[in-house]
Amino acid sequence: MYVILWFANQPHRKKPKAFYSDIQNILPMSVEILLLIALASVAVLSSLAVLFNKDNFYSALFMSVTLITVATVYALFGIQPVFVLIAFVFAGAIGIVTVALAATYRTAPESQVSALWGIPVIITASFLAFFSYVCVKRQAILHPQLATGTIQFELQNFLANPEYILLVLSLSSLGILLMLSALKIVGGPAE
Amino acid sequence: MQIDLISTLAIYITSFALLLIGYAVALSSKDLVRLLISLELMFGAVFMSVLPLFSSISNTAFGITIVGVFTSSCELLVLITAIIMFDRKNKNIYTSSVTIGGDR
Repeated sequence: MYVILWFANQPHRKKPKAFYSDIQNILPMSVEILLLIALASVAVLSSLAVLFNKDNFYSALFMSVTLITVATVYALFGIQPVFVLIAFVFAGAIGIVTVALAATYRTAPESQVSALWGIPVIITASFLAFFSYVCVKRQAILHPQLATGTIQFELQNFLANPEYILLVLSLSSLGILLMLSALKIVGGPAE
Repeated sequence: MQIDLISTLAIYITSFALLLIGYAVALSSKDLVRLLISLELMFGAVFMSVLPLFSSISNTAFGITIVGVFTSSCELLVLITAIIMFDRKNKNIYTSSVTIGGDR
């Protein structure tokens, strides 16, 4: 839709050379945006599969797919450290524990979706769709090539700041302490 | 890749949709494992919404993401421990049992 509106608003008096130059400028961006929209669609569809699946085991698997897709969006923007963090911690460690829990407590599949909750979900989704449509239409007509920013994240710049290192160390210590406490609680005598 | 309005919009819509579906899963869940799954979906939505921050304050955004990853993983770890403890005590993991226990 973005490309079509852009072409529709181009003045016809433009010289062919400048016109093709504009096309070359916009096409790579639109391919990236299409890829982003495809990833976002996969994330939403797999989360819908979590909602509508009766079996917790498959829901946990679809949840892992959703989180990996979210991490892939970060990779698409060139922020690989966050991709590694989400993929290892959420889809890896906690995702596997969740799948194992779902497999351990696997019961007869039973629907866990309440039809009444569909009403507020549909209302909110309608609001979102309407305002996003208005926003995209306005943007495509008024400022078709407006870019709000470029991501220039470098892990080296982040690691060069000692305050961030202290933050990471403190959070690692918190995690280790919590894991030790959890192990002590779970490994204790059963009541 | 540049972040323009279309991509920002796609990111925020996906984030809201994931959060909404996470809420729907949590509110309609009948057992604690599904509650855990819904929490992870909500955290996925939070990580998605942090992404546009990287265009203006990239280092701070990465710090926020690290804090988010650590705290949410610790929270999920505590919930997993609570599920195991709950099963040991009540011999089931149904959310209806949580309501009855809270009423007492």
